[in-house]
Formats: sequence, structure tokens, C-alpha cells
Amino acid sequence: MLDSILSILITGAMISALYALIAIGFTMIFGVGGVLNLAHGALIMAGAYVFVSLSRDVIWESVALPRLLVFPIAVGAIGLASYGLYAGLVRYIEDNPVITFLATVVVATMTTEIALGLFGDQPYAYTVVSGQASIAGTSVSYNDLAGFVLSWIAIGLLWYYITQTDGGRSILAASMSERGAQLTGVDLHSVRTRTWLIAGGLAGLAGIFLGGDQAATPLMWLNPLALAFIIVVIGGIGSIKGSIVAAYLIGYTETLTVSMLGQSFRGILSLVILLVVLFLLPQGLYGREYVHE
Amino acid sequence: MSERVRRIGRLRSTVRQTILLPSGRAAARVLSPIDRALQPGANLFNRFLGSYVGEVTGLQLGLLVAALVALATVPTWAPLFVGNYMRTLAVACIWSIFAMGWDIQSGYTGYISFGHSALSAAAGYTTALLAVTLSPVPSFWVTIPVSILAALVLGLLIGLPSLRLSGPYFSLVTFVAVLLFYRLTIGFSETLGGENGFQAVEVFTWDFTERYYLMLVPMLLVAAALTVVARSNVGTVLVAIRENERAVSAAGLDPTKFKLWSFALSSITMGIGGVLLAHFGGNVDPATFVVVDRSIEMIAMAVIGGMSSVLGPIGGAFLFVLLRDEILRLWFGHSTRWVMLWLLVLLVLVFARNGLFRWIWHAVGAVGGDRE
Repeated sequence: MLDSILSILITGAMISALYALIAIGFTMIFGVGGVLNLAHGALIMAGAYVFVSLSRDVIWESVALPRLLVFPIAVGAIGLASYGLYAGLVRYIEDNPVITFLATVVVATMTTEIALGLFGDQPYAYTVVSGQASIAGTSVSYNDLAGFVLSWIAIGLLWYYITQTDGGRSILAASMSERGAQLTGVDLHSVRTRTWLIAGGLAGLAGIFLGGDQAATPLMWLNPLALAFIIVVIGGIGSIKGSIVAAYLIGYTETLTVSMLGQSFRGILSLVILLVVLFLLPQGLYGREYVHE
Repeated sequence: MSERVRRIGRLRSTVRQTILLPSGRAAARVLSPIDRALQPGANLFNRFLGSYVGEVTGLQLGLLVAALVALATVPTWAPLFVGNYMRTLAVACIWSIFAMGWDIQSGYTGYISFGHSALSAAAGYTTALLAVTLSPVPSFWVTIPVSILAALVLGLLIGLPSLRLSGPYFSLVTFVAVLLFYRLTIGFSETLGGENGFQAVEVFTWDFTERYYLMLVPMLLVAAALTVVARSNVGTVLVAIRENERAVSAAGLDPTKFKLWSFALSSITMGIGGVLLAHFGGNVDPATFVVVDRSIEMIAMAVIGGMSSVLGPIGGAFLFVLLRDEILRLWFGHSTRWVMLWLLVLLVLVFARNGLFRWIWHAVGAVGGDRE
């Protein structure tokens, strides 16, 4: 009994860390631009595929760079891709939330088809760090462990950046009040650029480890995106703290459901929690009211 | 940043000034005699039907009649083309119903739902479950109303809690509703058929011509009914909710009540479409009905046609299905075809936000100039 509780605690922590990364990126973009970026899941998938195609000979024969080198490249590439999405599409339409919504969904489905065309529908299994460790009687792959550690490093750095540096504080300011931030001399363009870069980087990081945990498939964007939704809504749209808390809540709920009821019920309980939270706290745990502008 | 946005704006206006407007004027000069010739017909139409479905100009009436004739005579001209146009057009009729159903809720009220495929799935799955569990399979006269009712019930189940939310929260919850439905079909695969669904649903008919008309007639009826509703006070209030919800409540109307009405109306429409789709191919499974891609396709159709209209979603659905199943198929492989299609949708979203068919409709309406 104690063993299984420990095992749930450990596996839950591993997966929750990745969920937190996904949800933070999603919520930051909403907080700053008021944009719900439904293509966030596509960035996660792209992260896994960039990593796998550079570290294995999937598209180009004999391209197999060392994983230590590929990892930062992939994270950076997804950050840039995320910025590209903003600069190339979203900023022309962000004045209309409905169009932004639909356009980002279309980008996500388009990315799925591109991935299907390039890689086929076969899943590609890979690991970021191979091997297994045993913590308190539970076997944990080094892949998940590395994901957990890097997630907390990334969150720590983000926290430091946002609360302790001027550049970060301007992001925070812009997410609270765009007008107020502009009046105090914050360059909104640079804030948005940095936000999209950071969110993309976090999505890439999460995608690489998610793919390493399960396998890269063209449809792997949907579940993380749905989870990001659920987490962000529970935590409160725009709140980073809320995202982290909710990510762990959902991560543990999922681990519990899977170990108690089985794999096919993964996610159902989280959705039920979501509905309950929406009824009791429509703005989420740490949310503020969405102002329709 | 705004510099580049402005440059794009300048480019757009130059294109307008030098290409679009002159060619539009030339087209208008050619078309205006036709418009005048058709005007008596339009006057007759406006006198009897104008107050229910809106006034038309001569050319608009001509366009409508031409489209109707083309749709009604499909069996005579479709075999002349390479491809399976009878089937494709029948599918397009079903998807038109879906797109209209999505639009009467999301397009008119501005509350964007990602959950509409769950509503059609409720109808489809009810039909399948009735066919599978009851041993003398009840007749269509029983299963069809029950299935539509199931869609309505699920629609209210989704709508009642989620319509209390605003803006993005509503959309997120409807997205989650679809995922929940999908998960349930997998989680309860013994009763809901799992990934493979049900193949046992009786199809209406395999005869191409008959099947086409069985899809076309309900589509036209739904379109007519929705046009009347959209032109009525209810439709006006729904648009007012999209534009300014506070103003609606300030006028003493309860926006939530109207949003629920639109959701109910939309659920019934989705139910009709779901029943048709179930009896069209005979299979009810998550890939055909539930998955979120289906919702996104409905949305794409309504958006490229033109949201908050009735003709827009129909036109969008026909364009989308024809491109997907026939035209792009001639040149591209499976995934390239989808990429091209989504790219097209994206271009329409960015450059013609109001939709293609809506734009055509108004351009045609403007040919004769204002005549009051």
C-alpha cells in the first residue's frame, strides 16, 4: 500500500512537471496578448519531431547528432517557430479573438497534416536520456527524471526572470494592464516577442520529454493541448502560479485514475474536476476575470 | 511592428484601387442589364417572402435560382465529370447542415463552440445504439426523432453550464466536452463500440440518386427554417449578443435565455445532420463523428463561407467538401491535400474575414446600385 502510494507520488510528479511547462507557456501568451494560442499543442509535437529527426536518421540518412547538442537546438527552434507564428500570422489578426482562435486551430491541424506527410502515422520511439533508475522502489526512466529536473530549472529561471529583472517585470506588467504598461514606457512589441519565444521554448522542452516518454506521433498535440486548457482554466487563465498548482493537481489525478481504473479512463476524471471547478470558481483558482475588449 | 502592418494595409488598398474596383465596375456594367431583367421576379419574391427571409435584388434571386436548379439537377450533370460527384455532393449537403448548425449558435452569438461534433455524435450514437440493442429494430419514424432529441438533450447538458461562462472559457469547455465524449467512447468501449464504433446502422439506400435527394431535401428545409429564424427577432437578438451583450441585458432581455435558445436550435440542427450522416454510410464511430477535427472542419466551412449568415455556411461546406474530395484529390496526395485545404482556410481567415460567399452575395447585391 505504502509502496503504491509512493509510486503514484513519484510518477505523478514526473508527468505533472511537464504539464506545468505546457500550461505556463499557454497561459503566458494569453496573459500578455489576450491570444488563446491553440497552436501551442502543435509546437509541442514539433518539438518532439525536431528532436527525433535530428538525433535519429528519420528524414535524412546518417544525420544523427549527439542528443546533448540536439536538445538545445530543438528547444531554440521551437522558440523561434513560436515567435514566427506570432510575427507571421497572429499579430495581423490579434485584434479579433474569434479569428485568432480559428486561425491557430487551423495552424495546428495543418501542422498535423505536415507531420503526417513527412513522417507518416507511425510513432517514433526515442529517449532523451536512456536508462532506468529506482527511487524508493519505483522504477523511473532517466528520461522522465531529466524532464522533471529541467522543468523545475526552467520554472525557477522563469520565476527569477519575471520577478527579479526589468525585462521580466515588463512582461508581468503587460499581462496585468497593457495600457498601464505602455504608459510606463514598456515596449509592448518586445514584450510580446519575448513572451512568444519563452512560451515556445517551454513547449519545445515539454514536447521533447513527452515524446521521449511515450513516442512522437502526429496526433500527440491534441492531448497536451487539452490538458493545457484544463490546467489553465482550473488555475485561472493568465496565472503562472495557478498553472503550476493545477498542473500538479491534474497530473496526480491522472496518475491515480490510470493506476486505479486503467489506461482507458485517463483524463475522464480531470475533465470532471474541470467541470466542478468551473461551477464553483468560474475564474479558476488564481484567475482574474476575462475582460472582453 | 505597426509599420509592417501598415505596409500590408497599403498593399491591400493599392490592390483594391487598381485591380479589384475597376474589374468590379466592369463586371457590374455587364451584369446590371441581367439584374434589371430579373428585377420583376425579385419584386414578387420580396412581396411574398421578403419579410421572412430578407429582400433580394434581381441578380441575387437569379443566383439563388441558378444554384437551386444546379443542385436539383445534379443527377443529370454530375456523371459528366470525372470523380464521384453524386456522393461528394450528398456529403456536402450533410456538412452544410452541420456548418449551419454551428453557425446559428457560434456565428450569430459570437460564443465560439468547439464542441459541435459531440452534438451530431449524440444523434449518431443514439441511432446506432437503438439499432444494436433493440431486437426488432424500430422504424425510422421512431429512431430519428429520438436521436434528434438525444442531440438536444446533450446540447442542453453542454450549454447550461458552459453558457454561464464568457469568451474563451466557453470555447475551452466545449472543446473539453468533445474530448470527454471521445474518452467515454474509448473508456466504455463495450457499450459505445470503442475505436471501431458500430457498422450495423441501416443505410437509407445505396442508390446514388435517391440518396442524394434524401440528403438535399432536409438540407434545404433546414436552410429555409434557419433563414426564417435568423431574420426574426430571435436572430436579431443573437447578433446583438455578439455585438454587445451588456446592451442586450440593459434592454431588459436575458442574454442567457437567448444563448440557450440558439444552442437548442443548433443542437436540433446538428441532430438532423447526425442522423443523416449515420444513415448515409451506415457506420457510427469516433473518427466519423466525435473527434475534434470534425468540429474544426464545421467551423472552417462556416468561416470560409461567411459566419452569421445561412448561405455562407452552405457555400463554404460545398466548397470545402468539393475541394477536399474531388478537386484537390486530382493533384495531391492525402496529407498534402489537407495542408492545401487548411492553407486556403487560413488565407480566407486573414484576408477575407467575412467569408467568401458572403462577400460574393453582397457584391452581387450591389450591382444595380442602391434603389430605394
